[in-house]
Amino acid sequence: MSHEVTERRANYLGIFIILVVLTLIETLVSYVQQETIKFPVLVSLSAIKAVLVLLYFMHLKFDSRVYTYLFVAGCILAIPLILVMTIVMPIIARY
Amino acid sequence: MNKTIATAPVLQQDNTKLGMWVFLGGEVVFFIALILIFLLTRLVNPDYNIQFRSHLSIPVIALNTFILVTSSYFMVRALEAITHGDGKGLRNNLLAVIVLGLLFLAGQAFEWTSLFKEGVTYSTVFGMPFFTLTGVHGTHVFIGVLWAIYLLVSHRRIPYTQENHLGIENFGLYWHFVDIVWIVLFTLIYLI
Repeated sequence: MSHEVTERRANYLGIFIILVVLTLIETLVSYVQQETIKFPVLVSLSAIKAVLVLLYFMHLKFDSRVYTYLFVAGCILAIPLILVMTIVMPIIARY
Repeated sequence: MNKTIATAPVLQQDNTKLGMWVFLGGEVVFFIALILIFLLTRLVNPDYNIQFRSHLSIPVIALNTFILVTSSYFMVRALEAITHGDGKGLRNNLLAVIVLGLLFLAGQAFEWTSLFKEGVTYSTVFGMPFFTLTGVHGTHVFIGVLWAIYLLVSHRRIPYTQENHLGIENFGLYWHFVDIVWIVLFTLIYLI
């Protein structure tokens, strides 16, 4: 099992190359004028990059699930904040 | 009985790693709040592209993003080195993290100076959330650089080993998180 983990953890260079290529694609896509294509593509690429770093560089894929739950808990805790700010900010901006 | 077995792997690990993940969970909420302020400011002011985005230099920031992603790679290599008992590898990779972190901060300083020259200051509509958000992130990078220097110095005094490297692992978690925040900011502020 530990040998398997070591082997799976060893492909950091591959992850790094993917991250660099995705950054390059993102930068090129940002020059596209069509917002309907640009927005979903850029958000998806950014999400893929963030998840890759979380899973492989931060080892969430191999570590205890408790760490994943703690990180996800932060995201869930932010939902009420997002809702309140989305409602309140435009009202404040009017005055 | 089964319950005890299920929780054992986490309890056996050092509490500091668990604490680091709790801290990072809190940081997620903090950064989401700041990002939201920026996005909502943008939403209620439709002339974002004319007033602000036209002043941003995408190639410079793309280079800065590359620098931070590369530093993350060296960080993971530093951890890998010490898990294999390679103290020299840890030192060299940590040194690369420090240099790249400083390069990132230099790039940010260059960007801010250019924006100030073009009249984008903290008192402008988009300047306030932009400088707050990127400033808070930059502060995190700066703290990370100081932390890496501390680890490097402490490794000289009492070397980290294959068995004892939790300090490096915790710093790695922090540094990768700072990288993730920048990945998100790069897209939301500069590209979209």
